[in-house]
Amino acid sequence: MPAVLLACVASAVLAVTRRNPVHSMLWVLVLFLNVAGIFLMLDAEFLAAVQVIVYAGAILIFYLFVMMLLDLPDEESRPRFGRHWPFAVAVGLSFAALAWSGQVEKFDPVENAVAPSAVPQIDGEPAVGLGSLENVGKALFGPFALPFEIASLVLLAAIVGAVVLARRRPAES
Amino acid sequence: MTEYLDEIQALSAVLFAVGAFGFLARRNIILMLVSVEVMLNAVNLSLVGFSRHFEDPRGQVLALFVIAVAAAEAGVGLGLIIALNRNKPGAGVADLTQLKG
Repeated sequence: MPAVLLACVASAVLAVTRRNPVHSMLWVLVLFLNVAGIFLMLDAEFLAAVQVIVYAGAILIFYLFVMMLLDLPDEESRPRFGRHWPFAVAVGLSFAALAWSGQVEKFDPVENAVAPSAVPQIDGEPAVGLGSLENVGKALFGPFALPFEIASLVLLAAIVGAVVLARRRPAES
Repeated sequence: MTEYLDEIQALSAVLFAVGAFGFLARRNIILMLVSVEVMLNAVNLSLVGFSRHFEDPRGQVLALFVIAVAAAEAGVGLGLIIALNRNKPGAGVADLTQLKG
């Protein structure tokens, strides 16, 4: 586990600091695969598969396509960071410190649980894995059916918006 | 339930900090959007860690919605970048100083 955590942090730092944008993308790919491995360790099998297929397979390739479409030959000779980058470092460090100070309070699963466990139990043991397709699907299409439909509307709006924004304007003027 | 909750939350905080640094410091607008993806992944890690801790699949469902919103954000953001690139070639945010097309 610690090796994967260190690999995650290292690939994220490399991703935001590399000069070549395509190298940055490839380090983000390494980060996504590491995160998928952590999902597997946390019993989130379905989410690990979605992470690999949707994040690494679709979203990142989309970014790479646009990066290659834009044709940025002199990108490596330009400065990577704005002149204000020390302030960005300060923001990042202060956020991490803030989030860490919020971690002081331990989360006790018995006392702080907001709801009884939704996993069906057999003799005190979970009947199916926590992140199995059956379990996630029952939650997704049961109590989360309305948010699921709203997510489909969000994706539809994104598709229409992307088409409208990226469409070539007719040369009327 | 898991002894890894603290490690996962610490990793989530560090990844979010790295993504925030990248978003604020990078000059390339595409890499700024990629930094946003790093931040969203940090949030997903946190959600899945808590889902494991509380043995509740709702955290994973929420992470699925985050992935859907990330896909929508990538589509609209990259459409905007292509439209911007048509007006003014290049991907530097420092060049985008006026709203007029």
